[in-house]
Amino acid sequence: MKKRVLCGLLGTVMAASLLSMSAFAEGDSYRVAYIARAQSDSFAAWLANEMMTATEAYDDMTLDVFDGQADDEKENAAIENAITNQYDAIIVQPNNGEAQRPYVENIVSAGIIAITTNARIDGIEGASSVDADPYAQAAVNAQLALEQVPENAKVVVLNGPSGNFHADKRREAWQAEFFDKRPDVEIVGEQIANWNKDEAVQYMEDWVTSNDTIDAIISMNDNMAAGALEVVSGKEEFADILSYGVDGTAEACLLIEEGKMTATCLQSAIDLAELNMESVHKLLTGEETQIDTDIDAVLITKDNASEYVEMYKERGLLD
Amino acid sequence: MNKQNNKNKIMEKYSIFIVLLIMIIICSMLNKNFLSTGNISNIMKQLAVATILAYGEMLLIISGMLDLSSGAVLAMAGVFSVSVYKSTGSLLVAFLVAILFGVICNLVNALMVTNFKTPPFIATLAMQMVARGIALLFTKGQNISQLGDYVVFGQGTIGPIPISIIFMAVITIIIWYILRHTRFGRSLYAIGGNEEAAIASGINVAKNKYVVFAINGILVGVAGVLFMSRVNAGLPNGAVGYEMEGLTAAIVGGTSFSGGVGTTLGTLAGAFIIGCLNNIMNLIGVDSYIQQIVKGVIIALAVIWDIHSKNKKTAKVILVEEKSEGK
Repeated sequence: MKKRVLCGLLGTVMAASLLSMSAFAEGDSYRVAYIARAQSDSFAAWLANEMMTATEAYDDMTLDVFDGQADDEKENAAIENAITNQYDAIIVQPNNGEAQRPYVENIVSAGIIAITTNARIDGIEGASSVDADPYAQAAVNAQLALEQVPENAKVVVLNGPSGNFHADKRREAWQAEFFDKRPDVEIVGEQIANWNKDEAVQYMEDWVTSNDTIDAIISMNDNMAAGALEVVSGKEEFADILSYGVDGTAEACLLIEEGKMTATCLQSAIDLAELNMESVHKLLTGEETQIDTDIDAVLITKDNASEYVEMYKERGLLD
Repeated sequence: MNKQNNKNKIMEKYSIFIVLLIMIIICSMLNKNFLSTGNISNIMKQLAVATILAYGEMLLIISGMLDLSSGAVLAMAGVFSVSVYKSTGSLLVAFLVAILFGVICNLVNALMVTNFKTPPFIATLAMQMVARGIALLFTKGQNISQLGDYVVFGQGTIGPIPISIIFMAVITIIIWYILRHTRFGRSLYAIGGNEEAAIASGINVAKNKYVVFAINGILVGVAGVLFMSRVNAGLPNGAVGYEMEGLTAAIVGGTSFSGGVGTTLGTLAGAFIIGCLNNIMNLIGVDSYIQQIVKGVIIALAVIWDIHSKNKKTAKVILVEEKSEGK
């Protein structure tokens, strides 16, 4: 009796599986998997949300989002699962480019369309990429700082996690585009604050104690810049402090509009998501076979900040 | 002989404070700003959240448990509190909401540990994942900004004293009183020292475990409010690893992982040692990687010290027993 019940259950499961597989095969929707770096990372979470929104513009495409949980092992497992589930295209936002490289190569070997995004993994034959250029994002800030930072200035630098492609490239851009050209500028404090606002607050509190003057905060993202600014907010001796970030977050745009922050470079999750979806659709329909493209590195200063504040208000991210 | 014994006892009892004192002297020699009023205030503000969490961890460790969920519950309680403040404009309601969610999560921890006999490590690890997930789901992974007057908790002052330091001081006194002067406090030591003996002596272990988790929940809720107001944002992914900061402060301060041992002032000293260490390394510009190594070494040394002093005590007990048996 038990055996019969078990056979019956097994048969039902197999029939259901076959039906669902044939439904996917016969359906005219392309199935796309997006492996996000970490849903706990505010930018990655925003990008994942925007990816879902951007997909709505395509009737012939569906998107499933998977969370890499900021862990190479988990992200690689999610890629393997997506290959096994025979998605038509897989978009990977790497946690660590080199760790995901062989798995993206496996996507290509399996005959599935592969895109790497934010940040791209260079040099994978057959894989496309959509990214924001981290060097350019920091460089536009650095070029502005060349004109604004006073002579013999004292600055502090807040870095992203070591080994992170965007963190390293942004710091590289500041070095080449600013520090190498301004040997008069002294770095009085430099630490890794891991993109986090709370860590930046703590570092800045200590730097303010040990330095009479700090002329500029050079941060590799907006979160850390906002944290450092929180410490000097309302202190008259730091009223003229300059501060630079990257990402163009809602908070940073607001701070720039209020005159508290100097500049940031927009890394728009909206643009990145739309460009990803446009690219994957072109690849799936055969309109293109290879795409490597970047969104623009838009500099946000007091002159144009209100435009972006409005954008965030429309999306419900600001009151 | 007696004099030597007394000297050893004093050293054992106050060694953590001697370490702290030596550390302060060295730090003040390394950087002239270290003992400035501004810097002392900075250290205490930076310590407030970790110290409050450390008291919760200390109470749990003394009674033979621990909490790995405090960082995540802090984030969850904090973002709920921030959202409630933005909707109602009431600081009191926002504050109570944080405490409410801190207590609810910790009562679930207590239920798991007491009624379902789940090891605290597993129960609170599960809660860590659930609470972080709820915080991220609730905010869709986005920071909540524009907190307005909410920042008063973490950034405001009463006279020259930052409110966060006042919170820390008041909580220190309350926890010290509970541990030293209440039956409940003494029960915690008994439960952590030997749970079966505590049951045999009539202590309601289950009830005490619920109460100690509830107190931890209150502390986590308060820490959540201070953390979010300090950074002027509701950060669903904030305070990652803060449970380790709390545990570290408690252990460095002499709380024994085996249970039954620990003091409020020891934990406060432990938190100050970690805080001073972080502060001086930033003031003199020590590289991030080296900072991690130094903190790791300090924790290892504290645990070695703990085991060493425990072995010495065990050896003394054996010696006394042997003498009384006339061996």
